[in-house]
Amino acid sequence: MGIAENCLMPLPATIQQIIPETSDVNTYRVTLDDPEAMANWRNRPGQLAMMSLFGAGEAMFSISSSPTQRDYLDFTIRKAGVVTKALHSLEVGGKIGIRGPYGNGFPYELMKGRDVLFVGGGIGLAPLKSLVELMLDDQHRADFGKIEILYGARSNDDLCFKQAVLEEWPKRPNCEVWTTIDRAEDTWKGHVGFVPAYLEEVAPKGEGKIAVLCGPPIMIRFVLIGLEKLGFKNELIYSTLELRMKCGVGKCGRCNIGHKYVCLEGPVFNLIQIKELPPEF
Amino acid sequence: MSNKTITRDQLATLLDRLVEKNRVIAPVSDNRGVVRFGEIQKAGDIAWGFDQAKVPAKSHFLPQTEELYRYDTSGGELKIEPVPPPRPAVIFGLHPCDLKAVAALDPVFDGAFKDVYYLNKRERTVIIGLSCRKVLPTCFCRSYGIEPTDGQGADLMLTEAGDGYYVEILTPKGEALIRDNAPLFSDAGVAEGRRAKDALAGELAGQFQLNVDLTGVKAKVDTMFEHPYWQELARKCLGCGICTYLCPTCHCFDIIESHSGHRGCRLRCWDSCMFADFTLHTSSHNPRSTKKERVRNRFLHKLSYHDERYGLAGCVGCGRCIAECPVNIDITQIIADIEEVD
Amino acid sequence: MKTVVDNLRREAARLLAGDEVKMVIGYAAGTDAARTTPCFATTPEQAALLTWGPLCANNLVKYLLDYRFEDTRLAVVVKGCDSRAVNRLLQDLQFPRQRLVVLGVPCGGQLDRASILSEIPPGARLQDIEDTGEDLVLVTDKGRLSFPKDRFLMDKCYRCETNMPVVADFLAGEPVPSPAREGFEHTAEVDGMEALDIADKSSFWDNEFSRCLRCTACRNACPACSCKECVFEQAVPGWQQSGIIGSKVNSLPENAVFHLIRMFHVTGRCVDCGECERVCPVGIPLRLLYRKVLKDARILYGAGTPGMSTETVSPLSEFRPDDPEEFM
Repeated sequence: MGIAENCLMPLPATIQQIIPETSDVNTYRVTLDDPEAMANWRNRPGQLAMMSLFGAGEAMFSISSSPTQRDYLDFTIRKAGVVTKALHSLEVGGKIGIRGPYGNGFPYELMKGRDVLFVGGGIGLAPLKSLVELMLDDQHRADFGKIEILYGARSNDDLCFKQAVLEEWPKRPNCEVWTTIDRAEDTWKGHVGFVPAYLEEVAPKGEGKIAVLCGPPIMIRFVLIGLEKLGFKNELIYSTLELRMKCGVGKCGRCNIGHKYVCLEGPVFNLIQIKELPPEF
Repeated sequence: MSNKTITRDQLATLLDRLVEKNRVIAPVSDNRGVVRFGEIQKAGDIAWGFDQAKVPAKSHFLPQTEELYRYDTSGGELKIEPVPPPRPAVIFGLHPCDLKAVAALDPVFDGAFKDVYYLNKRERTVIIGLSCRKVLPTCFCRSYGIEPTDGQGADLMLTEAGDGYYVEILTPKGEALIRDNAPLFSDAGVAEGRRAKDALAGELAGQFQLNVDLTGVKAKVDTMFEHPYWQELARKCLGCGICTYLCPTCHCFDIIESHSGHRGCRLRCWDSCMFADFTLHTSSHNPRSTKKERVRNRFLHKLSYHDERYGLAGCVGCGRCIAECPVNIDITQIIADIEEVD
Repeated sequence: MKTVVDNLRREAARLLAGDEVKMVIGYAAGTDAARTTPCFATTPEQAALLTWGPLCANNLVKYLLDYRFEDTRLAVVVKGCDSRAVNRLLQDLQFPRQRLVVLGVPCGGQLDRASILSEIPPGARLQDIEDTGEDLVLVTDKGRLSFPKDRFLMDKCYRCETNMPVVADFLAGEPVPSPAREGFEHTAEVDGMEALDIADKSSFWDNEFSRCLRCTACRNACPACSCKECVFEQAVPGWQQSGIIGSKVNSLPENAVFHLIRMFHVTGRCVDCGECERVCPVGIPLRLLYRKVLKDARILYGAGTPGMSTETVSPLSEFRPDDPEEFM
């Protein structure tokens, strides 16, 4: 029985780079140790991977790098629990394990030919980033219309991917980025206010447009109300759901919402699907 | 190959012989009379008079604690080592409800992602089923279409007949076992064995005290997610793991870290959706934060979700949860209640 | 017995009708004749579901903890042994006295369900259990079986310390004789255990703990286990980050740690209601552990069974200069 055949056994991987995002969030740039495994790795934007910290445990994270980027995998992770604390104590060269990819990812094929609005809050931009970068990639850019990104965080310090959000993405053709923070700060010259309120202010037209969101539950709740008001259709609004996972492969039994397993049928659901789920997430 | 018979003594000889090259798992009793499936060294270790093993046979295919792999991180390197594949096994003494439960677990561990731990043990295990000798007051397998003499899911099915057993050969695996041990089996008395089995089936069918009507239960319960019934039912639940751990179709597990210095292993352990921390997020958010959500999830899983996902019932009517629940939460009562509530 | 049931129902209906309590926690008929089930009556009509008899072993006081952070007033039915748990929760400020109505029942002893069921012949259906005072009649569809009641008495009842509630706002019946029997001294079995040499003692408990399923029913049924978050389930307890205490691993060391830590944690708070042992699906003699602790507390600190009154202080909750310190 080889390592690759066993879906619960992680592949050895190495941290190549640690990019600080905020005071408690880092992006870990990781490569699989087996070059063949790295070359064969394919993931869709929005898919998940189980990260192993030996001595601490496993936890599921979304892959924040673009699937078009085939040399490494990025994971953007806040220091919060046992596993993430162990991860944050590692340095470049540190050994971890990776298994995956898991979940459905964003159905970007269905988004072709349309304008896309991204709404992200805090570290919730991580899974969105994989899709934004796929769409902005030269080989895919022509497939999609205008790309709008509305991103907010509690404070300037809590904004992730600043280089991309503030410098790179706004310069890309047919791409507009709005950023906001919850409360005013001396170091912040931009917009101040909550994401749902800013959305109402910016008021992007919803007709025929795709919306993709990820962020804290309270933000999602109010953004969904706002999107419906702006004329976004339920079937064109995509969000990710987060549940505790142990196996990632539909067997350990804990990430179910009704009879759906988020690790298999999720984490991406459109609003029609979300409304069909029992309210237990 | 046509069916056979085997005497009690020859069956004991067979099991003794199987021990030489296989792990042989069978119902064994501990010093307090609790019967569970455990590895035997000789046929004499078996709790021959058992009615129902308290801990079901899932403990063989999905052990309560199972090593998944080992790792070593010494010197800044990482080595991950698989555990050796399981030894061939023979599991003896599964009653029809437990056979059906294994069938209900198969699609969980198979599918797009294959669980090699479970599937390798399934592949390398010969299942010898055993017809029930009596129907317990908590048994209701018949409501799930299972007869206490059904061999479905077994490689060989044994039914007590006269001084020995009537042996039905149900799969090529069962046939191979018979071929390898041909002198122990006999063609004599097969017709009598068949008749004895039919007679037993008739007798046992009349012993059921619990019967539930499952017609429309899934459809009804699917509309009951928000029903106040769950809140009322959950009040008495203690949130322990008895029902889930003793349930032959419950399969939830946790993956646990165990290490000392640089060396360690990952273990898979039974877990229970009745435990408060089962769905607890790191953020402290818990989608099933009270007993209501947890009890509801368990019964929806048994009566709907499992069926929805795999097209198989998530309950086999073994009655273990009814027998052991310390507060008398009784799934047959719940099924009846579901039919009644508005 | 019938009078007690009538009194109980009447008082429960009165409390609910007058909105004096929002809920009465008592016993109702179970799904077979050899058991009852906890009942949570919230309307005067539901009070008619309440019952009482020798098949009411559950200690309902545990359920108070589910409502401790609400502001509703509740009533709970208690036997003598259960009533000690009421006092303990009051002492630990786990439930305010003013939100609680204690409905006491006189208890002549509780019966062991497994022993009853073992007397039912195969194929026979137990329909009813009649308590004639002296005898217990198991009524089945295949005939009536009469047994001396003692035969089915739970072990803990032979050693009953108080069969009348030590705290009650309402008593549903006149005192009845205690089921306690001579020759069952409270500590007899503990003495026996202590007399074993260390290897035998160790192998005895190794065997018992290795049989544990880790279902946590003992803890979940225990009224002394009142922690909102159990030490075994803490999400990120700093001290266990590199250990696996609190994991679900089923192994002798893990299981022993679970039971022994729990034993220490309930020291001075275990009221000896015996629920841990009753609910254990594999029959681990847990009361033996806890009675050892009770005995030690009695000898070392002169402490009685916790919960006998709200005046006594748990030996581990106070410091006295003359406390024994033989381990120092």
